[in-house]
Amino acid sequence: MEKIYKAFEKAKNDKCNAIVTLVEPKENLNKGKLSGEPIILKDNISTKGIRTTASSKILDNYYPIFDATVVEKIKAEGGVIIGKASMDELAMGGTNLAAYTGPVLNPWDYKRMSGGSSGGSAAAVASGIVSFAIGSDTGDSVRKPASFCGIVGVKPTYGRISRYGVVAYASSLDHVGYFTRNVKDASLMLEVLAGRDDKDMTSSFKEVKEYSKLLNSDVKGKKIAVFKNVIDSLDNENTLNLFNDLLNKLKEKGAIIEEVSFDNDLMRTLFPVYFIIANCEATSNHSNLDGLRFGVSEDGDDTREVVINSRTKGFGSLIRKRFVIGSFGLHEENQEKVFKKAQRIRRLIVEEVKKCLEEYDCLIAPASNDIAPLLEGNKIDELSDKYLIAENHMVIGNFTGYPSMTVPMGFEKGCPIGVNITCKAFDEENMFNIGLAIEESTGLKDLVAKVD
Amino acid sequence: MIEKEYIKELAHELMFDLSEEEVVEIQKEYETFSKQLELLEKIDTKDVKPMPYPFENETNYLREDVVTHVITQEDALRNASYSKEGHFVVHKVVK
Amino acid sequence: MNYEVVIGIEIHCELKTKTKMFSGSPTSFNEPANTCVNEIDLAFPGTLPTVNKEAVRKGIMACAAFNLEIDTLLKFDRKNYYYSDLPKGFQITQQFHPLGKNGYVDIEVDGNTKRIGINRIHLEEDTAKQFHIDDETLIDFNRAGTPLIEIVSDPDMSSGSEASAYVETLRQTLLYIGVSDVKMEEGSMRCDVNISLNKPNEPYGTKVEIKNLNSISNVARAIDYEIKRQSEILDKGEKVISSTRRFDESSRTTIEMRRKEGGVDYKFFPDPNIVPIRLSDDWVKEIVNSLPELPSERKKRYKNDYGLNDNEINVYLGNRDLAELFEECMKYGDKARSISNWLITDVLAWLSKNNVEIKNSELKPKELVRMIELIEEKVISSTQGKDIVLDGIMKGELTEDIINEKGLKQVSDEGMLLEVINKVLDEQPQSIVDYANGKDRAVKFLMGQVMKKTRGQANPSLANKLIVEELAKRINK
Repeated sequence: MEKIYKAFEKAKNDKCNAIVTLVEPKENLNKGKLSGEPIILKDNISTKGIRTTASSKILDNYYPIFDATVVEKIKAEGGVIIGKASMDELAMGGTNLAAYTGPVLNPWDYKRMSGGSSGGSAAAVASGIVSFAIGSDTGDSVRKPASFCGIVGVKPTYGRISRYGVVAYASSLDHVGYFTRNVKDASLMLEVLAGRDDKDMTSSFKEVKEYSKLLNSDVKGKKIAVFKNVIDSLDNENTLNLFNDLLNKLKEKGAIIEEVSFDNDLMRTLFPVYFIIANCEATSNHSNLDGLRFGVSEDGDDTREVVINSRTKGFGSLIRKRFVIGSFGLHEENQEKVFKKAQRIRRLIVEEVKKCLEEYDCLIAPASNDIAPLLEGNKIDELSDKYLIAENHMVIGNFTGYPSMTVPMGFEKGCPIGVNITCKAFDEENMFNIGLAIEESTGLKDLVAKVD
Repeated sequence: MIEKEYIKELAHELMFDLSEEEVVEIQKEYETFSKQLELLEKIDTKDVKPMPYPFENETNYLREDVVTHVITQEDALRNASYSKEGHFVVHKVVK
Repeated sequence: MNYEVVIGIEIHCELKTKTKMFSGSPTSFNEPANTCVNEIDLAFPGTLPTVNKEAVRKGIMACAAFNLEIDTLLKFDRKNYYYSDLPKGFQITQQFHPLGKNGYVDIEVDGNTKRIGINRIHLEEDTAKQFHIDDETLIDFNRAGTPLIEIVSDPDMSSGSEASAYVETLRQTLLYIGVSDVKMEEGSMRCDVNISLNKPNEPYGTKVEIKNLNSISNVARAIDYEIKRQSEILDKGEKVISSTRRFDESSRTTIEMRRKEGGVDYKFFPDPNIVPIRLSDDWVKEIVNSLPELPSERKKRYKNDYGLNDNEINVYLGNRDLAELFEECMKYGDKARSISNWLITDVLAWLSKNNVEIKNSELKPKELVRMIELIEEKVISSTQGKDIVLDGIMKGELTEDIINEKGLKQVSDEGMLLEVINKVLDEQPQSIVDYANGKDRAVKFLMGQVMKKTRGQANPSLANKLIVEELAKRINK
């Protein structure tokens, strides 16, 4: 338990505002793959008797009466939970600035953001508090903060990890994911978290391999598809150089590198298709947050008013605005033009990526155009290709449900940036191998930001 | 342009209110959103079925009709602001 | 002015399962509040639905019973609306792919049969129960998530009697195939009526929905009242307002609850947490084949094959176990009339007196028939059967054993009887005198004495005949 108490101390003096609730470590006698490991969970993961707020005011006083399946699995393998990490409210954000407990700072540069919505978990790993942290990824909410914080961020295949007990955002896009500081730990963590759970009907029956024992970074003959549409929308020279250096190293290791382009008009729809599907599903998923059975309840003259007051005060402005867009998209007269249109385009995107990954072992691209933006940075033009494609291409992993991970690629101004790879469904073994090859090529492993 | 009244109506349907600034912000954000919608309209989706799940292969799993999980009344009401005689209560503030 | 009446009926039935539709907590009735729930029923954050196999099975049985085409690809959707008895803020139902479509049921009204179309049957979940006490609302989630089927009829009915016949036929069939206990008064079967009037061969009029119909007779009463109410409105040239009305039992009228301003948009969309479920054709076939004979078919067969009358048939249609027992007995003797009489009167009486359920009774059908034969052969009298033998066979004993143990054989041997009668006459000279003086009562007295001597075994009609003959001989001497 010595390692655990050390981590708990570090968590108490966290400088990145990453921790929402500290959890007094409880000895875990189970022996397993996580024996003696302190674990931090994103605060949308239900922990029995431990406050779970999903960073929303309406859940400020919510103490779940059950553990999420992933929590049960962590405990079964000897892991000890020491804290709940900050996140964008209800996981509906990509910056972790919309956390009810305030923004999470990037451990490499406090003037910059950690990225979201699993920012707290990423910062906790990057600042050396823990080696394993759990997050969730609906658009890139594990893989983007992993890039900004210089750590490994994994979103496995949809259905690999049970979502039971994880506060839903958009059920057809949500994945439980996690952060580690190296690929070996990442492969081990999947063995712990994955597996069929009868409480989640979308949970997969596919066999969970011993990934950590099957690691093999020999990429000779592996076909790697460079995501050209992303490259064309990048404008950061340093990022492009880091990326090309990496590709050359992989070539030296015998990998076959080829550029692949998808229909660019289709790629420009990545963000709006995500935004529509996510908001439509989220507005329905959060209809249960009414203050009547749990959560912060405001007074009112009748039931209707109690619910309206509770939801008005309980949700941040960004959330309520996105619910309005979601409801707009679900209304009968708009569904065809908005929600269903987005779902049809999702199928076209998935089909193109599927075809590509039938020929290639993985799709690769920088995880974002730049290192972590400044907290007070100016707003990016949301109609530019840089925003629509470079900053949002990882959502392809959520549309397809394919396994995707981010691994550190290099630094700029002392801050890290990562590279993202996506493989075909349930091909995590191949993904970890390529990830390991990248780790060995860059030499970037077990990075911890100096936190003064 | 999206009408303020319509935005307020959508909010009320979702059981919450919006401040005046928030309504104005939505109107502005809707401008960007509708341009992004135009990007969608450019894509021909004739004969393309909506995709509600990432994996559409059917399951044949059905849960057996066996009681597997009940919680105590105490756990059920643990997070309730108001409860009485084992019931959740929506408390009315009498002005 | 009489108008064409167009009636469609939506029925919700609670399915008889052990657990909820989408969670593993128990279904219940009248349990202490919030004790038959779990986090899924309360829609706590992060909970997910799992589909109840038995509810699907019972749903398929209902579809088969009413001739619907069954969709073996099960899909669920969300019906989004806010109400304090709906914890998730949406109900999981089957809007786009109901379990069954395009079925029908034949109803009988005043002797003629009419076919009522059943548009669809789908699976969904019930809401919680609420109690409004002065200014507070109390909510009990025990009922939340209970499996329901919704049965939506085509608008093929045009009168209160047709509507109540439809509801009764559905109720009886669903009870019979064991899908639901269909207790309207307890809410395990709820009925909403949609009714509109229009001038002959004009388009349908404005639809009014009537809720809170908790008995078959109220269905007819509510409709008859509503037809009158709407006719008066139309006669005055006014318009009927599209609204939801409540049937008020005391005044037997319908009272407006709320106006229907434009359809409510429930923003239906497929539930992303439930991937499509493929039912195996064998499983569906097995369920359909396991369907017991329906009341309508059984009624025809009982009438044609066994010649039973309507009252008897109705008893059997209301009590499937008794019907099954009747058919078992018929295997041992083609005595429909007498078997039915014994079952409906004596056996049922014995069962209720001894508080035993038919399926737990030890009665061997063969023995009941054996007893009936012995009575017909006059080996024992029907009173002996009623008073003595029945009790024994209801406890599983054999008819022959009971008769031997209790020495119940009717003595019909003339020689033996004459001997006894003459002994009695010797002992009762006074009766002979009374008989001679015209007091016929004497014969009854003598019968009593003969019965005593033969421990009730003397065949009554034969004994009577011989007594009179012996008296005549004695008097003429």
